[in-house]
Amino acid sequence: MKQLFLIAIRNLVQHRKRSLLLGGAICGVTMLLVFLLSLSSGVRKAMFEAATTIQTGHINVAGFYKVTAGRSAPVVTDYNKVIDVIQKSLPDVEYIVPRGRGWARIVSDTGSIQAGLAGVNLSGEPYLQKVLHLVSGNFSGLNQPGTALIFETQAKKLGVKVGDMIIISSLMPNGTNNTLDLRVAGIAQDVGMFSMFSIFIPQSAINQLYQINENNTGALYVYIKNIQNLPRDMDILRKSLANAGYSLMDSDPRAFWFKFDSVNREDWTGQKLDLTTWEEEISFMKWTLTALDGLTYILTMILLFIIVIGIMNSMWIAINERTREIGTLRAIGMHRRRVMAMFVIEAFTLSAIATFAGAVLGLLVAGILHISHIHIPTGAQVFLMANTLKFSFNFVRVLGGMSLIISATTLISLIPSLRAARLKPVTAMQHK
Amino acid sequence: MKKNILTTIILFASFLQIPVYAETLTKEKMVSILKGIDMRIRSSGDYKSLVYIEQREKGKPDLVREALVYRRDVDQKLMILFTKPRTESGKGYLRIDKNLWFYDPTVGKWERRTDRERIGGTDSRRQDFDQSNLAEEYDPEFIGEEKLGNYNVWVLKLAAKPGVDVAYPVVKYWIDKATGNYLKSQDFALSGRLMRTSYNPKWQKLFSESKKADLWYAQEIRIYDEIDKGNSTLILIKSVDLQELPQNIFTKAWLESKSR
Repeated sequence: MKQLFLIAIRNLVQHRKRSLLLGGAICGVTMLLVFLLSLSSGVRKAMFEAATTIQTGHINVAGFYKVTAGRSAPVVTDYNKVIDVIQKSLPDVEYIVPRGRGWARIVSDTGSIQAGLAGVNLSGEPYLQKVLHLVSGNFSGLNQPGTALIFETQAKKLGVKVGDMIIISSLMPNGTNNTLDLRVAGIAQDVGMFSMFSIFIPQSAINQLYQINENNTGALYVYIKNIQNLPRDMDILRKSLANAGYSLMDSDPRAFWFKFDSVNREDWTGQKLDLTTWEEEISFMKWTLTALDGLTYILTMILLFIIVIGIMNSMWIAINERTREIGTLRAIGMHRRRVMAMFVIEAFTLSAIATFAGAVLGLLVAGILHISHIHIPTGAQVFLMANTLKFSFNFVRVLGGMSLIISATTLISLIPSLRAARLKPVTAMQHK
Repeated sequence: MKKNILTTIILFASFLQIPVYAETLTKEKMVSILKGIDMRIRSSGDYKSLVYIEQREKGKPDLVREALVYRRDVDQKLMILFTKPRTESGKGYLRIDKNLWFYDPTVGKWERRTDRERIGGTDSRRQDFDQSNLAEEYDPEFIGEEKLGNYNVWVLKLAAKPGVDVAYPVVKYWIDKATGNYLKSQDFALSGRLMRTSYNPKWQKLFSESKKADLWYAQEIRIYDEIDKGNSTLILIKSVDLQELPQNIFTKAWLESKSR
């Protein structure tokens, strides 16, 4: 086997030009694949971080309260009792935060936008301050009543800066209009689509706007220590909340605002809790990841096909050039299998070296772009979930990509190698 | 000295004159005025009107829609069917009982909307196209008398009755003393903030056979968004027809059929 490797390397060095050309192509494709995989992992990571601090907990215990069958509000009543049940039944809980929920028109002197309202109590949300980066103002401002934290693009659209007043205009669950005058306490950097449709206001402001008392909230965001336990924890929560006497809605893997229509059609009144995972709450935007992964897959497949054809073609040429050599090797007793292995190992060696180089180069480019904090145009921010290009190294995915390329190129080399192995020594030696 | 005495007498006289000219309306009288408005607008038979809705939003091009409004006030039925422009054609609102449904033919789906939602994203509400229920929904308070342009008007502040769901818990009406029609109204949010001001300068009447009396409608309604300043909506009622409508008209199927 060692001899075969030596022969393979010798041949690759001897046919330097061809090896460089083919190896370069394999290296390029691997580089592109690793780059795209790192981007996809980066988007996935950014989405998880942003989603699970801004939009959702790992598990959400939310729900609807209906005064009449046709009128629902996204409210969890007497939420401290629900927290007690969660804490007693779920040992995996890291912490739980209540979040007010609403939808409003945000109006300034020069503009207006529609946005979701997130009612927060900053002292209970340590991670929020780590994920959101303020460009002006400070988080402590949001601890004061009558304040709001908005995002950069929203501030631009509204034409406001820290200290300016904005009006929040919303419909209460009974359809009555209500407004709040709030002061902008902070402006945070955009974090993709989440920052286009969310603003943060104190929980007390949400309560005032929707005339709900302080024992009620919009949702409980439950953060668990080990995200791998999420399916198990969901089951435990479902059972323990049902056992504690709470009515639960049937599992519906959609964000809460998609459910108003169906909830209003149902004829129950009172409180029903709804349990969702973070992935379900952002299911409406996971298509960006699917699209990115799809693009990576299609691009890789096209390029891989081209390379595979190149490898096969190049090996046909090599076999043609080395027919006499094959004949001699066969004549001095080399077995057919070893002839075939010789060519396969040559293809494998070339592919392995080029793939490794490509992966290193891909990771290097991704790493440089990551630390360069390259600003993404606003349109693309929506899909990439960040305002700068973010990459993340996922060992399993990169190894998977490399294995795919090595396997494909090695397997395709079997066809010409098989032909080389079938050559009769006499015929091969007579080849001109 | 003489001048000072004269000034004092004039001031005193003017104070004395206030109660003479500012006639305070009793609650019964105010309720009767509101009932009068409701009665004049309400139709005992069917109602159909052709309406233009012009939406003006700052930073956006003006958008004009044409719609047909169908009413059967006895059953509290209402339907608004957009006919123009092409992109809006076939969309519509249907009120069934106390629910307002919105239909979009591009997705072929009905959505339940709040009864107090903006119509077509404009500053108009369902109430601007529907019959009036002021006396049933609000308790009036007399604010005073004013001169609104050339018109002498009563100014009434109406507060929503407990338990009644309305878009605006407080509204103010400027009611023409001569005709009893309201010429201006202001809608306030629960917080007390002024949300919109509407002007109804032109009123028209039409004899209703079923009612055996005149039916009044505001031919022109100008609505100004007081929060998002610069946004406004103009509603023009071009024609009204009081002939009987088909029985099955206030159904989802009928509205859907209009976009096929």
